[in-house]
Amino acid sequence: MGVLRDMMTALRGGASEVGESIVDANAIRILEQEIRDAETAIAGARQSLTRMKSAEIKLRREVATLSDDAADYERKALAALNAGEEALATEVAERIAEIEDERNDKAREQASLNDEVDKIHKMIKARERTIQKNKRELEKVRTMEELQRATSSVSKNFAATGSSSHRVSKALERVKNKQQNWQDRMQAGDWLEEQESTDDIDARLRAKGIEGAARPGATDVLARLKAKQAS
Amino acid sequence: MMTLADLAYRLNDHESDDGTTFDAMVMEDGVLEVTCTGFEEFPMHLTKTETQLISVTPLFSKDEVKADSLGELHESFLRLSPALPLSSVGLQGNTFILFGAMALSTRFEVVAHELEIQAENTIDVLESVEHLLN
Repeated sequence: MGVLRDMMTALRGGASEVGESIVDANAIRILEQEIRDAETAIAGARQSLTRMKSAEIKLRREVATLSDDAADYERKALAALNAGEEALATEVAERIAEIEDERNDKAREQASLNDEVDKIHKMIKARERTIQKNKRELEKVRTMEELQRATSSVSKNFAATGSSSHRVSKALERVKNKQQNWQDRMQAGDWLEEQESTDDIDARLRAKGIEGAARPGATDVLARLKAKQAS
Repeated sequence: MMTLADLAYRLNDHESDDGTTFDAMVMEDGVLEVTCTGFEEFPMHLTKTETQLISVTPLFSKDEVKADSLGELHESFLRLSPALPLSSVGLQGNTFILFGAMALSTRFEVVAHELEIQAENTIDVLESVEHLLN
């Protein structure tokens, strides 16, 4: 079940305020119930899976031990035959047959248990996928609800101020002015820094007795005036 | 997992590399209102679900769109959307919104950066559709 279509229907129908249901409340309850059921089923399945897996491991170990025993008795039976002990070898052969019977029974049991473990494992995986899918669906609904909540508080302010014309333009203008002021301040800062560093250089030059063009003194002015008079 | 109150506390204490600071406050309804320096006109509203942090900037209401310009506005938004990789434009009730979503596990510095981008995107988007508004 996809909740998007349901949400679209509710939203087209005008459900936009906080608290208004954007999805059929039953649909949410069903999703949540499915998640809970799947989680309970998984918890139960995991417990029996652990039990079955340990039984299966035990059987596998017993099968291996019985195979070892059978191999061991085969070696002994051959040794008896080589020693000409036909009767003893026959007894050992009967023992081997018993062991092999027991081993085959346990191997069958282990194989069927192994199949069961596989089945339960697959069932758990499937249930987990259901949970994940339902959680994603719920998340869509929750996201929509949270979006409504986050939007509604500011939208109420729009209602108060939104009627004034050019609200957005005016606000944009204020933002741009602030940005411009900020840039101007940055430029002013740069300018000041530059000035201070220039002043600094002049001061240092003066301190070393190195100065630019000397200011004209009274002697120079008098000489200029005399030159003017002579001409 | 960071709560909205934690986020507010850290944002108020944060200054980005290019000098942006934040003003963050949890409001009565539990929504976190955040503004970036210079962008105080368009506050962002943050809220969260079990997995995501959602930030919403309400842009303007449908009533503020010039008569007969709604179609052009919708097309402009659809065309703008791919150019805004970190924000999406949407409609909530009667209000057009710019919104972004982040995983709750997102690092704080990344959250702060995304919020800065969203504030810038808000101005870009509004400038592009300003002529369609009353």
